[in-house]
Amino acid sequence: MKRAGLLACFCAALCAQQFKFDLDQLASKASDVVDLSLNGSTLQFAAKFLDSKDPDEAKVKKLIEGLQGIYIKSFEFKKGGGYAESDVQSVRAQLRAPEWSRIVGVKSSDDGENAEVYVRNEASKITGVAILCAAPKELTVVNIVGPVDLDSLAELGGHFGVPKLQNAPKK
Amino acid sequence: MTGFADATGTGCDFDALVREHQAMVFSVALHFLRDRALAEEVAQEVFLSLHRNLGAIQSASHARHWLRKVAVQRAIDEGRRRKRQAVVSLSELAEPAAGDPQGDPMLGETLRRLVGTLPEAPRMVMILRYQEDLDPSDIAELMNMPVSTVKSHLQRSLALLRQKLARRGLGEI
Amino acid sequence: MDWLEQELREALRRQEPSPDFLERPRRAHVLPMRRWMAAAAVVLAAIGAGGAMREYQGHVAKERVLLAVRIAGGKMNRIQAQVRGVAQ
Repeated sequence: MKRAGLLACFCAALCAQQFKFDLDQLASKASDVVDLSLNGSTLQFAAKFLDSKDPDEAKVKKLIEGLQGIYIKSFEFKKGGGYAESDVQSVRAQLRAPEWSRIVGVKSSDDGENAEVYVRNEASKITGVAILCAAPKELTVVNIVGPVDLDSLAELGGHFGVPKLQNAPKK
Repeated sequence: MTGFADATGTGCDFDALVREHQAMVFSVALHFLRDRALAEEVAQEVFLSLHRNLGAIQSASHARHWLRKVAVQRAIDEGRRRKRQAVVSLSELAEPAAGDPQGDPMLGETLRRLVGTLPEAPRMVMILRYQEDLDPSDIAELMNMPVSTVKSHLQRSLALLRQKLARRGLGEI
Repeated sequence: MDWLEQELREALRRQEPSPDFLERPRRAHVLPMRRWMAAAAVVLAAIGAGGAMREYQGHVAKERVLLAVRIAGGKMNRIQAQVRGVAQ
């Protein structure tokens, strides 16, 4: 009974993330690694310490309300070739499952970054988001589990702690 | 979030301060750290600090002085942190985005690299003198060191650069 | 100023950062922090500082959430900006 309970917990932990990242082998080659696994309990716990009087923290608090997890793996490399196309494909293949839909795919001519956004739909509701960014010297995979507001997320990312400039700076 | 015009009521327009001083802050970090991406991170941190301390800025010249001082400190801190983590070979150092429009482009790049090999204190002194055109007394105040030390760093660094350039067959004919 | 000083002025001329340098997400140095945080956690547990421990754990969790939102949000923001740029 106890063993079944433990097994259930283990499965729950695995299942919390909506697809496997399978990228740990890149850590040894990376110059910088960010590895964040924040399940629902951690998010709820952290929310208690977010300051509602701080505008940014209040927005984060609202954003993570109802989320079941945020999982991020990001690798930076000193030179190109730190990861293989097959590493990216192993993630992309999982996002071809029927419950996932690709909503955005952009390639930057400035730095060669390929960025894709996928949403997971269940019963006509968004239940997850995947962001896949592959640049010559960086690979980042994000899975947000739960009903996330993408516009609020982008807005927070645009000015976190620093006001966004309205116009391009003069030379 | 919209542009941040004079939220403090002191006449400090954050956007305008960024536009006016971003090249200065970024270039102090770039010439010191010789890594463009890192210099941009340092510049970002400096302006984040400015944003947090906007209420304390009293005037345009105060803002310039404050930004310069924080840029110097942050660049030095970042340089020390990187030194603890890894040794970067000269071949891995980032190339600056723009070449020299006048003068010998090879000499300019060689000079930047040679300045980058100087020890921490004389390197920053040289950057403040030749990038920012500051007097030794201003440099001394910024870096919290005696004027005589600043002058000594300048003299020795110039002598060392002349020597290294001569060995490479570069320099005044 | 002699020729070397003139060349140094030219070589060390100010340069502009990338137009979007302020908007890129910063990487907090999470990994080096972990060691002292782990040590602090052990000490707090050892002295039975239950309330202080919870407080400390809460702030660690908060910083990790903020970092996660900063990274994910930064990527989304950039993607949106590129999509808008293409659409114009």
